[in-house]
Amino acid sequence: MNGMIVGRRVVLILVLLMTSVPAFAQVELGGSYAIRMHEDYIERGPGSFMGDFTGMPMSDEGRAKALLYTSSLPSTIERQCLAQSPWVGLYRPLGIRFWSEVDESGRVVAWVMGGDYLRDTVRIWMDGRPHPSPNAWHPSSGFTTGKWEGDTLVARTTHVKTQWIRRGVGIPGSDQSTFTAFITRRDNLLTIMTVQEDPVYLTEPHVVSRVWEFDPRGSQGPLRDTCNVGVEIPSLEDTGEVPHYPLGQNPEEDYMVRTYNIPKEAAMGYAHTLYPEYRKTLRPVYTPPASCGRYCCGWIERQGLPGAAPGLTCNDGNLPPAVRKSLTSSER
Amino acid sequence: MTGLSPLMIALALVPALATDVWAQARGGRGATASPRTEAPIDLTGQWVAIISEDWRWRMITPPKGDIVSIPLNLQGQQASEAWDPARDEAAGESCKAYGAPGLMRGPIRMRISWQDDNTLKLETDYGTQTRLFRFGNAPAAGPRSWQGHTTAEWSVRGGGRGATRSGSLKTMTTNLRPGYLRKNGVPYSERAMFTEYWDVHALPTGDRYLVNTNLVQDPVYLQAPFQTAIHYKLERDTSKWDPTPCDARF
Repeated sequence: MNGMIVGRRVVLILVLLMTSVPAFAQVELGGSYAIRMHEDYIERGPGSFMGDFTGMPMSDEGRAKALLYTSSLPSTIERQCLAQSPWVGLYRPLGIRFWSEVDESGRVVAWVMGGDYLRDTVRIWMDGRPHPSPNAWHPSSGFTTGKWEGDTLVARTTHVKTQWIRRGVGIPGSDQSTFTAFITRRDNLLTIMTVQEDPVYLTEPHVVSRVWEFDPRGSQGPLRDTCNVGVEIPSLEDTGEVPHYPLGQNPEEDYMVRTYNIPKEAAMGYAHTLYPEYRKTLRPVYTPPASCGRYCCGWIERQGLPGAAPGLTCNDGNLPPAVRKSLTSSER
Repeated sequence: MTGLSPLMIALALVPALATDVWAQARGGRGATASPRTEAPIDLTGQWVAIISEDWRWRMITPPKGDIVSIPLNLQGQQASEAWDPARDEAAGESCKAYGAPGLMRGPIRMRISWQDDNTLKLETDYGTQTRLFRFGNAPAAGPRSWQGHTTAEWSVRGGGRGATRSGSLKTMTTNLRPGYLRKNGVPYSERAMFTEYWDVHALPTGDRYLVNTNLVQDPVYLQAPFQTAIHYKLERDTSKWDPTPCDARF
């Protein structure tokens, strides 16, 4: 009799094996990831050149708003803590960190991304909760839910605040923006692709993809999720003035045209300039500049310091001429 | 004690059986299974690069010496400063920027299709290049080429009853002719190894994106792996396919 019971149990287990779903439905994301600034170095490092909207599918309204921007604008006290996009980390120069929040049974309730977001962490709810009403509060981090699709965590963010998309150049995103982020960890590499849709300031989705590398030493630095204000421009204190360029009077509007010889429509972020066929327009009008100019070396030589590789000193046009001359004459 | 009971034996077999069960579930096609029938994602179709990153280095040729973002070593920097497109043209090497590690970041449209059950074919209009992804253990054969020798393997997840089947593709390319990572002469050597991970993602709108996460490792010209993620969008309308020959200057 006992043998029959055991036999039935064996059969039951085998049947369960044949019909059940694997329990390993996610990847361990937890840990620190070091940045590799091998893409968009200038945007992520020193910050974009004023008037450089290349690669952006902007609406006329977005373009007009971006051209009002001056670098003094975020220095005003009222704006020092304005939210940046929850996914602005793709345009920041530091690492990121993921950790999970679990319930009493150990089930992951949320994945949290932090490390290089200046205003808040991004909490990706995994417990199936719905997004709140469109009229609900828009926190700095927005509201994000996630689900696993194979080895990729797909996160959807709504309820964001008005933000700047790239650093230092004023490209706006509206509070109606939504983000879909695809987060894939493969061995030591972490890939994040974000698709931002914005009915106000973009004419088509803005897509960015980046790579980070797992950093077992966790050297990406402390979280920077607080924002302290201070008077950065004393002459503006208590004046109520909002630094901006009046419409049509931004002196940097033609910076990319005169510096890099590219058509103005490419610099001004029209969507059709993002696709290969636009090269037909570029070919007859583009002549490479005689020399690189600024930020030529990037990864090799950061902020004017000698490069990381032995004996290597990139001739970066951003260095003062005397420094550049001394480096190139003594070390090459 | 009479040794292990049938129940304990069954429980002990769970991990091994589970692996086997899922491996079979992934295939599930018996003797006819092949890399083509096993594909967990569909890479086929026409994909267009969205140049939303590094526009000034990908859509046009930057000036000599603009090596920003690429972790060159001293030798790599010196080689990039020796770039001479006229010399490349004279040497019949106008395609140096169209080798696999440089091509994928270019302003390309690519068509991916199955050449046979074991071989994926990638064609680009930009430079009219063709690269073959060979599944299995096909050895590198022939002389070095711009597209080199690419081996491929699927990474498969799920596929059992009730589980969504998913996965990605990993390719490794070697046997490359020396070429350029960037059109203004930023070099890679014949010792370069190009590793790529291919993922397909979909939006609720139906838009499909292909993401190529890749590393270029080169002991000659790089001081660290050059790591990027490149994204493409699936095109339903294939009318913008525009084959153009290699161009050493633009």
